[in-house]
Amino acid sequence: MRRHFLLTTALVGLLFQPLFAGAADARTTLRVVTHSSFDLPKDLIATFEAEKKVTLRLIKAGDAGEMLNKLILSKETPIADVVFGIDNAMLPRARREGLLQPLPAETAALSLSPNVSDVDPQASAASDWLPIDFGYVTINIDKAWFAENKLALPTSLDQLAEPEYAKLLVVENPATSSTGLAFLTATVQAKGESAWTWWRALRAGGVKVSNSWSDAYYKDFTRNGGSRPMVVSYLTSPAAEVFYSDKPVNVSPTANLNLPGGVYAQIEGLSLLTGGAKDAATRQAAVDFMLFMRSAAVQKALQTTMWMWPASATVAREPVMTFAGKAPTARAVDAAVLDRDARNWVRRFNQEVVR
Amino acid sequence: MLECQHLTKTFQGVTLLDNVNWQWPATGRFATSAVGGERPGVQVVALLGASGAGKTSLLRLIAGLDHASAGCVRWDGQDLSKVPPERRGFALMFQDFALFPHLNVQDNVAFGLREQGQSRAAARATASQALARMGLGDFTQRAVTALSGGEQQRVALARALVTQPRLFLLDEPFSSLDTDLRTQLRSGFLNDLQANWDGTASGISRVLLVTHDEAEAREMASHAWRLSAGALVSLW
Amino acid sequence: MRRSRWHGLWLGLTPALFIAGMAVLPMLRLMWFGASEPSPLGTESGGFLSGWLAIWSDSYLRERIVWSLTQAGVSTVLAVLLGVPVAWVMARLEFWGRQWLMQTLMLPFVVPTLVAAMGVLAWWGPRGLVGQFFEWDDRGSAWLLIAGNLFFNLCLIVRAAVAGFESQSAARLAVARTLGATPWRAFWRVELPHATPAILSAMSLVFLYCLGGFGLALLLGGQAYATAEVVIYTLVAHELELVLASQLALWMLLFTGVAVALYAWLQMRVRAPLRGDRVRRYRPNVKSLTTWLMLVGVWMVCLCIGLAPLVAIFTKAALASSVAWSEALSGETAAAIWNTTRFSATALVLATVLGVSHAIVGRRYWWWRMWGMLPLMISPVMVAFGLILLVPQWLDSWLILVCAYALLAMPLVVQPVAQALDSLPRAWGDAALSLGASPWRVWWRVTMPLIAPAIRRGVAFAMATMVGEFAMTLFLSRPEWTTLTTLIYQHLGRAGRLNIDSAWVLSAILLSVTLVLFWLLDGRRWHAVGTPEFDDRSPHA
Repeated sequence: MRRHFLLTTALVGLLFQPLFAGAADARTTLRVVTHSSFDLPKDLIATFEAEKKVTLRLIKAGDAGEMLNKLILSKETPIADVVFGIDNAMLPRARREGLLQPLPAETAALSLSPNVSDVDPQASAASDWLPIDFGYVTINIDKAWFAENKLALPTSLDQLAEPEYAKLLVVENPATSSTGLAFLTATVQAKGESAWTWWRALRAGGVKVSNSWSDAYYKDFTRNGGSRPMVVSYLTSPAAEVFYSDKPVNVSPTANLNLPGGVYAQIEGLSLLTGGAKDAATRQAAVDFMLFMRSAAVQKALQTTMWMWPASATVAREPVMTFAGKAPTARAVDAAVLDRDARNWVRRFNQEVVR
Repeated sequence: MLECQHLTKTFQGVTLLDNVNWQWPATGRFATSAVGGERPGVQVVALLGASGAGKTSLLRLIAGLDHASAGCVRWDGQDLSKVPPERRGFALMFQDFALFPHLNVQDNVAFGLREQGQSRAAARATASQALARMGLGDFTQRAVTALSGGEQQRVALARALVTQPRLFLLDEPFSSLDTDLRTQLRSGFLNDLQANWDGTASGISRVLLVTHDEAEAREMASHAWRLSAGALVSLW
Repeated sequence: MRRSRWHGLWLGLTPALFIAGMAVLPMLRLMWFGASEPSPLGTESGGFLSGWLAIWSDSYLRERIVWSLTQAGVSTVLAVLLGVPVAWVMARLEFWGRQWLMQTLMLPFVVPTLVAAMGVLAWWGPRGLVGQFFEWDDRGSAWLLIAGNLFFNLCLIVRAAVAGFESQSAARLAVARTLGATPWRAFWRVELPHATPAILSAMSLVFLYCLGGFGLALLLGGQAYATAEVVIYTLVAHELELVLASQLALWMLLFTGVAVALYAWLQMRVRAPLRGDRVRRYRPNVKSLTTWLMLVGVWMVCLCIGLAPLVAIFTKAALASSVAWSEALSGETAAAIWNTTRFSATALVLATVLGVSHAIVGRRYWWWRMWGMLPLMISPVMVAFGLILLVPQWLDSWLILVCAYALLAMPLVVQPVAQALDSLPRAWGDAALSLGASPWRVWWRVTMPLIAPAIRRGVAFAMATMVGEFAMTLFLSRPEWTTLTTLIYQHLGRAGRLNIDSAWVLSAILLSVTLVLFWLLDGRRWHAVGTPEFDDRSPHA
């Protein structure tokens, strides 16, 4: 009898646990949802939390496309207050779904690097989205593999679609990955309607479609034990390879293959989610976080943790970034076109290439 | 004829049969009993004993469904130890008639014929004839669950008869039935066997009846033995 | 009398309404959504029907539906081909280790689907203990999914066939032999037809489970061998093609409905077990080669299909590096364990109360009982999807998740309790009444103690199901609700050796937790698991 009594009390206690949890905490909790590649040095975050008396809850929600889907599905009951990782290609869609709130006034004073505003003036002028970093999506190649197999690199997109090259390539699914979406946008921008013939040729040639950049890079890229020596990745990834190599090297083991029509300028940004940060304390925390992300310390640090270039005008690039090479010329697609067509492109991709 | 030589059976430490030596009575006479009178074409031998005394074990040994611990069963001198039940030609009948519920009457009766290699059509034809001879000609397509007790018994008998067995083994066939049905089925059984007799010596139906009811034995059997403490004792 | 009837009505109405609200409403919403929104596949002007039928003409989706049906069919057939001979040997032969083997075969009853999938990968997969010696291509293999299906469902077939063979009348078998049938012919013509209704009923259940399974298909089928359920998930979570997903769901609902109807019809024809006159098991001739082949075959099948995946998980976990262990035992895991515990415990209370109430009231109406079994038959993916559409504004309340868990667990409590109440002789209750006890006291002092073991059994299975729940949690997941199962899935999704090893470790932990919980709740009567009295275990873990 006593055993039952204890058990019952325990279960009742569990039932009412939510009421007792969350005892008054001096700190505000700020929920930040990011893609899986978000990474900042722990001491920077700790300093921020201590200074602003905020507890940062970082929620990693898969690659950026997957994250966007989750946000759309749960938009009536948002899972976070602030979102990092929506890029300029996804921005129109996020807007259309009503996910974003206008930026707080304090962020208006931040200065944006001309590299960013040149590449995508429309996105740079957004009032609901704060650019944090930017980079270029392009193709990385495994130098060792190409040397060993004595194969010349393709010089154009059309050559890439030939069977002997197509079967060496892994791309990401634009539905789930922002990298994939950027690359798809670049090809459609360059080739127009014939892009789909090109993609079908790629498929017939044996291209692999991965769900996320980290899957493609860390599982399928030959550098990491996979079967594909060409991967759609970032201009800065070769620099990362140099940074992370065990022994000091002078030359990166991977290289960029900047094919015309195969490069896209990607800007990642930070936004307030509709329905998030409802009370004043959380809103203030959100503002603090936004300013924190554009602070010099973070803009310097994210280069070697997330491997993107700083959006801020006042922060210089890290020396290791020279291994990335020169920035290619690429302009972003018009926002109205993206708004109208991006979803259909993704749909078509899934129908024609994946399925 | 049936013969048991030095038959011994122990099961889980209990001796059911202890060096049993027994022969089918070679009287050459038909079944007679004090009450039933002479029934040409039918020879009934009864095996009496209390429940659990081992009568069913002996029956199963004769049928070939169990193996003896020692000794053997012979038929006409031939040792049956290596002969499996399906080739001994002994028909086994139970008190619940054990008709196959998933087959209709005709297919039940045809069962043994199909095992003898006949085609389905031929077996069914023979079965229908046998059923007609027993007055069950209208029952061929019926489900066995739709039959009365008496009808089920006759179908079970027909099923055994068409395989032309050398010996009928009856395991307490009438014991759990109420008195009226029991009397009806008993005489019905013997009548059917008698009617099946074609008049020749080879057509005689030999029946080994296992029962605990002495009155029933007296009514049906011309000879009777009692099995107790593993040994057979002749009664009449 | 009238007042207690009224109480009874309320007692019974609550669980029924609960099922209606949690299962039927979301499904209806899903069907309405699929029917009313324009499909991207259908023509502009065409209505619902053109869009719905267009799914069939889309080659990819059609292939997925056909594959779903195929893999369920193949798994069922294989389960029968392997299970019936195994069952015959178990039912007829007495051999060393027979009892233990029967109990081990029933182990998959309490294993969560995710753990089962991990186990199959650990044993048969590309990095598996046995699978590493096979040739693998990029896309994986269709046989992994079939192996997973067999792991779960072989025991169902074996259990049903054993019951069928054990209820065989010894007399009929003996008669068949004396009529001239060899042992093989007697099996084919008498034993098998007798056991067939039970086997057929189990087959239809297995088909149903294989068709609607999600966790296994997601992990073992991958993208190349995705079943329709996985495609629905992909369409919703990755591509946000809600309309396409709901119309595909409608197709699957059609097929599942047919399978359910078939199962219900077959179940009615299963014969009640005989009393007495059973065929007794015998010790076979150990010198015969056939005997040895049979026994070795049975041991191989049971161990390789049933036990090996579980052993493989523990092996893989033991072989994982210490870094993987520390990664697995991190704060993230602690939070996941806390989530699993609080959701399962709360849902357990809810499911028990609702389940027992449902079992008590209206036992004699077969349609009432079918209603109680509804959550077992429907696909949790569709229910979760329907909830997303129906109540998006409540999706941040953990009560929704708890209710969803309770929905899945309810039938597991209802079944054994209803059966226990069935077998309770009325005489005892009447005797108690005549001794002066009020109906409530009769319930408390006579009925409850007598059905307590059944309640315990139901609670144990419900707990095992909820601890291992995956499909609904994945669908309705919010980052703060990560349970042990979704955590394993997350680790699998991240690249890197470390993450795979952590996933093995976490799977081993989850399996141990489930087994321990089950043992604590009802372990002493483990020998009774899988006996015909309890038609237990949820397919949707």
